[in-house]
Amino acid sequence: MLALVANRSVRPYLLLVIITVALWIFDRGRGQFFTTSTAFSVLQQFATIGPIALGLGLSMIIREFDLSVGGMLSLSGCIAVLTGAQYPALGVALAVLCGLVWGLLQGTIMVWLRLGSIGVTLGGLLTLGGLAYVVTGNLSISYPRMDIALAVNNPVLYVFSLRSLIALAAFLAAAFFMARTRVGRDVYATGSDRRAAMVAGVRTSVIVPAVFACSGMLAALGGALLSYSLAAASGVALTDALVPATASAIIGGVSLMGGKGTPIGIVGGVLVLCLLSAGLNAIGTPPAVQDVVTGGVLFAVAIADAVDLDPRLFAMRRYWAEMFVRPADPVRSGDTSAAE
Amino acid sequence: MTDQVLPTALRFAWRVPLPHSRRGRILVAIRVAALLALIVVAAATPGFFTTVSLFSLLNTTSFIGCVAVGMTFITLSGNAMSFALSVTLSTSGVVFMAVLPLGLPIALLVALAFGAVLTGIQGAAVGYFRANPIIVSMAALALITGGATLITQGQGVYPQGDAAAALKGRLLGIPMPVAAFIFTVVVAQVVLSFTRFGRQLYMVGSNWRAALAAGLDPARIVLGAYIAAGLCTALAGILMAARYSSGDLELGLGYDYSAISAVLVGGTAISGGEGSAIRSLVGAFIIAVCQVLLLLHGFSTQIQYLVIGVIVLFVIMLQTLADAE
Amino acid sequence: MTKNSGVDVTVAAHTAEATAPSVAPDTAANRPEPGDNVAAVVSVRHLSKSFGPIAALKDVSLDVGAGEIRGICGENGAGKSTLVKILTGVYRPDAGTVLIGGAAVSVATPRQAQELGIAIVAQELSLCPDLSVEDNIWLGSLHVPFLHKRPDLRRRAAETLALLGAGHINLDAPVANLSMGERQLVEIARLLTRDARVLILDEPTATLTDVEIERIFAALLAVRREGRSVVYITHRLAEVYTICDRVSVLRNGELVATTSLKGLDRSALIELMLGRPSGEMYPEEARARGAPALVVDGMSLPGIVDDFSMNARRGEILCIAGLVGSGAAEIVAALAGLVHDAGGSVSVNGRPLKLGSPARAAQRGIMFVSGDRAAEGVFRRLSVLQNLVATRLRDHSLLGFLRGGALRKAAAHLATRVGIDRRRLHARAEELSGGNQQKLAFGRSIERQTGGILLMNEPTRGIDVGARAEIYRLMRSFCADGYALVMASSDLEEIVGVGDVVITLYRGRQIGHYRRSEVSMHRIVADITHPRDATP
Repeated sequence: MLALVANRSVRPYLLLVIITVALWIFDRGRGQFFTTSTAFSVLQQFATIGPIALGLGLSMIIREFDLSVGGMLSLSGCIAVLTGAQYPALGVALAVLCGLVWGLLQGTIMVWLRLGSIGVTLGGLLTLGGLAYVVTGNLSISYPRMDIALAVNNPVLYVFSLRSLIALAAFLAAAFFMARTRVGRDVYATGSDRRAAMVAGVRTSVIVPAVFACSGMLAALGGALLSYSLAAASGVALTDALVPATASAIIGGVSLMGGKGTPIGIVGGVLVLCLLSAGLNAIGTPPAVQDVVTGGVLFAVAIADAVDLDPRLFAMRRYWAEMFVRPADPVRSGDTSAAE
Repeated sequence: MTDQVLPTALRFAWRVPLPHSRRGRILVAIRVAALLALIVVAAATPGFFTTVSLFSLLNTTSFIGCVAVGMTFITLSGNAMSFALSVTLSTSGVVFMAVLPLGLPIALLVALAFGAVLTGIQGAAVGYFRANPIIVSMAALALITGGATLITQGQGVYPQGDAAAALKGRLLGIPMPVAAFIFTVVVAQVVLSFTRFGRQLYMVGSNWRAALAAGLDPARIVLGAYIAAGLCTALAGILMAARYSSGDLELGLGYDYSAISAVLVGGTAISGGEGSAIRSLVGAFIIAVCQVLLLLHGFSTQIQYLVIGVIVLFVIMLQTLADAE
Repeated sequence: MTKNSGVDVTVAAHTAEATAPSVAPDTAANRPEPGDNVAAVVSVRHLSKSFGPIAALKDVSLDVGAGEIRGICGENGAGKSTLVKILTGVYRPDAGTVLIGGAAVSVATPRQAQELGIAIVAQELSLCPDLSVEDNIWLGSLHVPFLHKRPDLRRRAAETLALLGAGHINLDAPVANLSMGERQLVEIARLLTRDARVLILDEPTATLTDVEIERIFAALLAVRREGRSVVYITHRLAEVYTICDRVSVLRNGELVATTSLKGLDRSALIELMLGRPSGEMYPEEARARGAPALVVDGMSLPGIVDDFSMNARRGEILCIAGLVGSGAAEIVAALAGLVHDAGGSVSVNGRPLKLGSPARAAQRGIMFVSGDRAAEGVFRRLSVLQNLVATRLRDHSLLGFLRGGALRKAAAHLATRVGIDRRRLHARAEELSGGNQQKLAFGRSIERQTGGILLMNEPTRGIDVGARAEIYRLMRSFCADGYALVMASSDLEEIVGVGDVVITLYRGRQIGHYRRSEVSMHRIVADITHPRDATP
């Protein structure tokens, strides 16, 4: 049982159970919360945040961080809306291609110039956001195909929609890839210890751009489908997506230190956040509370994953012990005993 | 050649010895040349020096600039950036407006202290536990945004009377925001160049473990850097709230990105240990000048935004080329 | 090689230090000479490599034949690691060629080395802590298909581990959970599954028990029987005699000899490795015995060191001698306050000192110089001046403001003291040579008052001979000023040349305590590599 709790990818599902139970208690059997429409809206939100969380999570697994996902989200929406009027699939394809190219570019720059991801993806975020701005002329572009907008959001099997199914498919593909293929193993190796992986023969200089290409494509996919579903694309860089995506990935078991975390775990993380949001909404709390909860969880995880946590706790415990233990008592690490 | 051309004063402002390698010196020359080119283009553009465009340019730049100076402290300490400075700005403005009935001096003190505490908590997590600074700042962003929205119920705070009038006017003929910006840059630069804390900040940002081995307390210095950032940001928040006569959470939206852009374009290294407040001043002005130039030449705000993004990307790449031997 | 005879040989090697090891079947003494008639599998011709002014390899040529186990011996800095790194694609040679199977090749990446049939177990392990044992064994291997979880690969991994006596290790456990010895075995298992033509092992047995070492030797002999080659680099001379056919000795970047081990006794081999110690390198020893400055009693570092005690006196250099991983470097780091869970009692000038805080240690006059300049020593982007005065800002500041003129004067004084050109005060620290950077670290440790303690961790690592001599002179001058110096080192020559008191360490346990007159290189080598009375 303890092993199950310790497993990072199982943790979000435990959280999910706890939240469901808590919400059921709050609901008190009134049946307000546990309806198919609630499940549907949870999954719709999953379709929005999920792909970004997956892409960001993959970049965290190789011990980097793709700040540009927010920019790609909005730019890809613009591209899809502008080019997908006649053939919607073409619009999505073009957007995904953009994400691929941009991700490869960022990753290659990082490897070639030996740069960290924060600087490069920050520049990427600003550039992509700027491009989106330019393309839309700072107006909201509407998408003429209302039929597509409806089709994308139409309930399938009561709780799913085309969007959420595509998002799920992406996760499943990623899960298979990461767990069962050699390349997936190499991605984990690159994040766990890049130098060791390189010495062992892994082509880390190929893996890094490939992972960033994936995160670009996933953000683009999510952005394109989101724009279709809203029947509009706006130039505002959705930097608001960054916080929930990061929180989802981290709750889902991805570590900031790299090498850990699975796509299935990230699914759990995204669901936790979406359920929390839907649940808090249903019981009538203002959306600001969600922000606080998300922020609190993220902060707690940042501390839990902190590098100097153990030494600090050790020092604090020792300090505590010395404050409240009589000097005559032998202290565990007896460094106050007299010298020879 | 360049180390004779660039006088000691510039080296002082640049805060780091000039690179000895040919490549490094060429890159410094490129930067200086680009700067000169910009000035020439600005001078040659009709309408650049008209009071209207200059005035609005100065005001906006001053607010962003103050935040950029604060961000500089965080970047110098080796902690890249903070996403929470924009909300610190707006909430400090709200607090200022809310406390204003108690008198201007008290309101100033309380608002500044508030900003310092908000960033100080992040600094404690990053310094004492070495938690990831990006994640901590994101968490702070969410917490502060949510908390502030709950407390203010989404309403702005509007002042009774005109207690903050003093802050809206001019100081010795210079608009207040600009005066405050210059003041902030001067104080920050003095701290960075001439105080023990400043020197230790560079050491910690350069190499945490070496600083530890040299007997410093890096945690405390990082905390100090974050508190400094909070003070600068709160100041900007106070002035903004005074200018728009309201404490509103909408103020300063997006300033995090503008601020870090100014810091990076100015030449401070994102990895820490190298840079200065004056560089961030230069960076802020370069961006502002570029924006106005583009505007005057007929380009939309969107293109401006894009150009800034490309410049940032470029500058970061250029910087590493200078360091890579 | 039967197990029994293996044990005999090892025991014999222990008890007969200076005499030739006793003969056992299938060891070097019995086999015909490999070499002349066998085509070389791996050759290097006129290989040279320099790092700035330091020449790591000078015109080295050697051949390793098929079905041969070649030992490579040499002191620290002799060029062994550089040679290996060139063979495995980490470094490019400045001159000379590498030939594999007779054809000249240019090894650019580790992956390319693998394609050429070269596999290595390096001193620094290349395991990914978050991956499972099975994944680590097959990591980066060319044999692995796209869908990598295959039962035959898993079986082969299990069999290889069992062959090494590590069958108890769970294939799915993350490597982070394994002990150092188990990790070494996983790395060796990876080596064996690569089916390479040339297997290179660099100090593979430091963390292993005798039984495990036996198994590895058995596996290496099987490899040799298949006609493949092994290059075995080690400090442990007993192992060289057990497993190697011939030995190549490197000294100061040059190949001194390649010879069969038949008829070469231990002291002759050591002479080849070390040559005549140079008298001018090491200044005279200190005269009087000073007062005890740093006294350690029963220090323990969880998992690393057990019950260490020492007494460092003023005016003396105390060397803690031990191989990497023995705990020597960790003890010095703990004394400097860089280890948070160190136990035991320490006192400085008679007063107790609480460990765990470098600031506290600095307050009591303890300064620390690390051999790992990049990580712990030098602020690379700051100037020489800023580096030199890094620890004395408080002395030259007024109300928090730095007094620039006073600092500049202090820096100039320190620069002269340690031998750095004053004109370079404004240069960036990263532009200095390794030796000068190390002098920077020394420079900032100088205190105004006497009674200071200087702790050093491999202070001359990666520094050329000339700069080393200067640093030893510097250390002696510190002694003359009344400092107590404590130095952790794995460099034999340095230990014997500089140490007034030498304490030897093996796997965290104190083995011997010698004064200068009693110390000898043989004793030290024996103590730190495989002491008689140590239990694994």
